[in-house]
Amino acid sequence: MTNRFKTLIKNFIESSWRVKLSAVLMGGAQISYGCIGKGLLFFLTEVAAVAYFVNRGISDIEGFFTLGTTKADAWTGTLGDNSVVMLLMGIFAWIVLGIFVAIYVTNLKDALAVEADVKSGKKPKSFLTELKELLDKKFYITVLVLPVIGVCIFNVLPIIFMILISFTNYGGSIVPPELVDWVGIDNFKKILTLSKFAPTFIRILGWNVLWAILSTTLNYFAGLGLALLLNKDCVKGKAFWRAFPVLAYAIPGFITLLAFKFMFSYGGPINEIIRMNGGTAIGFLDLDAKWSARIIGLIVNCWISVPSIMLLATGHLSNRDMSLYEAARIDGATPLQQFKKLTLPFMLFATTPVLLGQFIGNFNNFGIFYFLRGGLYLDGYFLASDTDLLINWLYNLSIDNNYYCIGAAISLIIFAITSVISLVVYVNSPSFKEEDTFQ
Amino acid sequence: MIKQNKASKIIDVTLTYACLIAVAFVFFFPCLWIVLASFSKSGSIYSFRGFFPTSYSVGTFKKLFTDTTMYNYPRWFVNTLFVAVGSCLLGTFLTILTAYTMSRFDFKARKPMMKSTMILSMFPSFMGMTAIYILMTQFGMINQIWGLILIYAAGAPMGYLTQKGFFDTIPKAIDEAAKIDGANAAQIFWKINLPLSKPIIVYTALTSFTWPWSDFILPKLLLKEKDLYTVAVGLMSLDETEFARFAAGSVFIAVPIVILYFCLVKNMVNGIAEGAVKG
Repeated sequence: MTNRFKTLIKNFIESSWRVKLSAVLMGGAQISYGCIGKGLLFFLTEVAAVAYFVNRGISDIEGFFTLGTTKADAWTGTLGDNSVVMLLMGIFAWIVLGIFVAIYVTNLKDALAVEADVKSGKKPKSFLTELKELLDKKFYITVLVLPVIGVCIFNVLPIIFMILISFTNYGGSIVPPELVDWVGIDNFKKILTLSKFAPTFIRILGWNVLWAILSTTLNYFAGLGLALLLNKDCVKGKAFWRAFPVLAYAIPGFITLLAFKFMFSYGGPINEIIRMNGGTAIGFLDLDAKWSARIIGLIVNCWISVPSIMLLATGHLSNRDMSLYEAARIDGATPLQQFKKLTLPFMLFATTPVLLGQFIGNFNNFGIFYFLRGGLYLDGYFLASDTDLLINWLYNLSIDNNYYCIGAAISLIIFAITSVISLVVYVNSPSFKEEDTFQ
Repeated sequence: MIKQNKASKIIDVTLTYACLIAVAFVFFFPCLWIVLASFSKSGSIYSFRGFFPTSYSVGTFKKLFTDTTMYNYPRWFVNTLFVAVGSCLLGTFLTILTAYTMSRFDFKARKPMMKSTMILSMFPSFMGMTAIYILMTQFGMINQIWGLILIYAAGAPMGYLTQKGFFDTIPKAIDEAAKIDGANAAQIFWKINLPLSKPIIVYTALTSFTWPWSDFILPKLLLKEKDLYTVAVGLMSLDETEFARFAAGSVFIAVPIVILYFCLVKNMVNGIAEGAVKG
């Protein structure tokens, strides 16, 4: 990278006045060598960029650092600064600056290329040829423009925004028209030490990790078991039996979850049956129903995720090398041994990425407890309940209660945890370590 | 010895079928419960005896579509359909194009782009939501249905990996042959690879249709007016006494998806398995 940059600088210094003109007035060299269309495009970009930065870009970048200096005052009629918009426009200005620098460098490179062409006696490429290249050699540029812009606006920009928010005091009573300020890592300190957040955080984190491990293991083995069951030779009418899990798979998740909530509610059928048999109704999902609610969550999650794992495992099971099993049977291996020594290692190898995805998905499983027990706030928890996962807490804090900066800091912590786990699992996984065992 | 083997085989088969029946029951029963509840006459869950309603009628379905003052189900349904179809078309288009370029072209930014999408997907999906919510309020895009389509479609290319895995399996030799015959990259994609990739297009379309069809977080955040709700948000807003209405509404939007899945389950299995190995 640095090397390429160095040669660019060197070539630039050795180049003629035309290229140097391009450094000041973009597109100058191209126009003077006769590539008028391209040169004009570069020149117009420069004009547009200068106009943007003079008009608002520079003050936007300034606003990014100050986050506003004048507070709105209804008495004197001053329109104050809106810190959130300033932060947003600040990020936007940085992005524009980045794009402009990239175009500027392209402009210099292009000017050098045109000059090299002219010096070696070739005619520089016409504007039309270059446009045609966009449909051929450089087709990827044409195609990727739209997706990249979309992802940048709706994925990257929000994430950058939230990362930055986690270093401000935005939220609570400090929302526009109040001025927001940079506070460094205060939010993280608060989460880990302040008596308001810390106990809740530790408790939820503990349950969250336990939940992710339990539910992933349960779902994985149940799904694998189901796939093996359906794969047995003695099972006739496989498509028929498979239809039931697929049915469960096809029903939108929120319907399943709401239905199960109804099923376990006080008036629901399960309590009805208990009452009919002379028992008293049990509040499965009540305020004090810590473990019963957690277990119901595990089971319902199992009901929802097992079919997809089963389908996946079915796909992989058909890729097995059956001669290994033949050999094992001749050597007298029991079915259990075959499972432990052949099936499981192969499946773990083939599905590590999926398993990892499942783990992350379960770690951040928002729907389950949001639907089953959403909106409960318990004693001993700050705006959360004992079944809530970090992601639910995040929702309660930032969407329902405006604790934006704390919420953003928690998002970053979740990100840190999931990415570290993914990295460790991936590096230690058989599919990474022994890439060719099963190939 | 042989006799013993035969006996153990019979036990094995019986056990297998017992398990299968149990599994079928576990998966089928809640579905049956909801379907029957949607035909319940009284409408409230409290009038059920055990799991099942005491008397049946199609009244709830009629009510669902005619009694729209409180809960405007037909309107929600149209909204959902609009959002799902819109984001399906746009999202599939963008995802397929992205996956294709990532699979076929070798350019400087390719590896960095792949890595950064991987990192981006590690952030809790929710984190972006909070920001999008703030952004949308700032720009006054709350209560705009097309805003939802934009967000769903723009996020779709992030999940291009499965599709890339598929394109990796189409031999490049075909491309080379077409290139020699004078086709440019756009033509190679349009005339040669696209017709070959029907299964993955179906898979992509299905996933990008079902996601908005059953998503509730984003619409709940961005749509605050009752008439703009999607079915998911609308059904969530139902009162507990409206159980039969909930059941009927759920059945009505689950049925199309279930039919789609059953028609395409082969595609799903292959699509998932292929994308996963290469993941």
